[in-house]
Amino acid sequence: MSTTPSAPRRWSLLALAIAVTAVLMFPIYWMIMTSVVPSERLLVSDPPLLPPADAASLDAYASVLSDVPVMEWMWNSTLTTLGAAILSTVVSTLGGYSLSRFRTRGQQAMGFTLLFSRMLPGTLLIIPIFVLFANFGMVNNLWSVTLVNTAATVPFTTWLMKGFVDAVPVEIEQAAMIDGCGRAGALWRVIVPLLKPGIAATFTYASILTWGDFLFARTLMGNPDGWTVTVGIASFIGEFSVDWSGLMAVGLISMVPMVILFLLLEPFLTKGMANGSVKG
Amino acid sequence: MTTERQRAPRATPEPSPALRRAHRARDLFAYLTLSPTLAVVGLLMAYPLYVAIDLSLRGGQISDLLNLEQNPLTVDNYGDILTDPGLVDDIVRSIVYTLGVVLPAFALGLGLALLLNRAFPGRRIIRPLVLLPWAVPGVVVAAAFSWMLDASYGVVNHLLRSAGIIDGNVAWLVDENTAMFAVILPTIWKYYPFFILVLLAQLQSVPNELYEAARMDGASPLRQFAHVTWPAIRPAATLAIVITGIGVFREFDFIYPLTGGGPNEATQTLAIRIYNEAFQFFEMGAAAALGIVTMAICGVLLTAAGRSVRRQFG
Repeated sequence: MSTTPSAPRRWSLLALAIAVTAVLMFPIYWMIMTSVVPSERLLVSDPPLLPPADAASLDAYASVLSDVPVMEWMWNSTLTTLGAAILSTVVSTLGGYSLSRFRTRGQQAMGFTLLFSRMLPGTLLIIPIFVLFANFGMVNNLWSVTLVNTAATVPFTTWLMKGFVDAVPVEIEQAAMIDGCGRAGALWRVIVPLLKPGIAATFTYASILTWGDFLFARTLMGNPDGWTVTVGIASFIGEFSVDWSGLMAVGLISMVPMVILFLLLEPFLTKGMANGSVKG
Repeated sequence: MTTERQRAPRATPEPSPALRRAHRARDLFAYLTLSPTLAVVGLLMAYPLYVAIDLSLRGGQISDLLNLEQNPLTVDNYGDILTDPGLVDDIVRSIVYTLGVVLPAFALGLGLALLLNRAFPGRRIIRPLVLLPWAVPGVVVAAAFSWMLDASYGVVNHLLRSAGIIDGNVAWLVDENTAMFAVILPTIWKYYPFFILVLLAQLQSVPNELYEAARMDGASPLRQFAHVTWPAIRPAATLAIVITGIGVFREFDFIYPLTGGGPNEATQTLAIRIYNEAFQFFEMGAAAALGIVTMAICGVLLTAAGRSVRRQFG
């Protein structure tokens, strides 16, 4: 519960919040600003801090969309992200249910796995994973990126889901089982509908992580046809003379899907963190 | 706790066959629902880890990673790495990077969580905005900061020059002395929202009566924080710091696109060195050994982080 301060107090809190937010949002503002101002106005020692009215344009977007396969990158990212988020949600719903409802050794193992999986450096794991997928002819196949990202998110999302299942009273499914549902039926018809916020939180988390993945996609998708948007963007940064307006335009385009998803589902995620971490 | 006990208390020495059947069905279901998790973690974490350990113990020129038994078993990779004086530098850089990110990100996250826990107009708009960087891909964050920190045309230099803080332009990412700071900055920006997410959830669960009682006792805001707020959020804060800390310790997405570990190894953390050994110099055995050593260091640091962490997972 938050306290309710007096009116002048509240306005000064707002002023503070706006000041901090302005500083924190500056990188995003600067990306937008850069994307709408032509290079010759930017590549000077004192660039304008506000977009000049006479020169602002969306040319950078038009040229980057026609010169660079941004939409193909976005499509590849969409496929891997949807795949990994759906797989991760299904796996962690089942796993979270199992860990919440049954006291198996898996419960302790999960806490350990969560920590341990974070300790495994991605740059180490990717070496054998690359070899494994190469052996199955799955390098340059988006499924490889999807599967690795599923594995990378599952330890955390399972723990997140367990918190949500813990919050569902066990009596509800017992009642369903007395009414003739099997365990699987009770899980599917009674528990899963109650887990919608958890599913939303898990889906958001897995999506944002997979969409942002660079290491796995870069290593597994050598062929430019299969690049995801992060790999494409990174290929810009290394260039000798960077097209900054274009790069910022691509960066902003790449942010749009996750920003929308995040704004829609953020409340569930906050709740999920509460569920998960309350369990001591 | 809503946990069903797997083993019922043995009040009756011989459970009826029907009860045993029911228990077997329940155990089967317990493992059935857990098996996808185990399969994913086993196939894409445990098995690769096994291969990595195997790889780290092989000598000679490794040509076929699937037939490692062709290569002799040896501990030379570990010998080479542990006697390499550069290893200590890599470890120090990894720790500097991790602390340089986690401490400011935690302070920022805590401050914002405390602010967002107060009622003020517009809070519903501010909250998603300050959380937003978490949804931005790390590579995009790196791109934005590489532009802002650009030596010739970067806005950071422009603003600092206008404010009279620096006289000439600073080549943030190219100068050995500033490169580490320049890769830490975007990482902080990406990671602070996670602390808000975790801490805000905790703050909202602190009963208001505790604050009222503290105020009636004449406790200052600082004492209220120390005696009411902090004890309530401490376990979650510790957990968030540890999870983020290990994440940052092996972070790749910011340093690699920004500097690749340079200039002159100034930003070469363990994670970057592993990648370069493997995919630039193709020293797979050495890279794997370095990865195992990195994990061991992580484990040691975790253990040192103390009992409070283990209590969280116990």
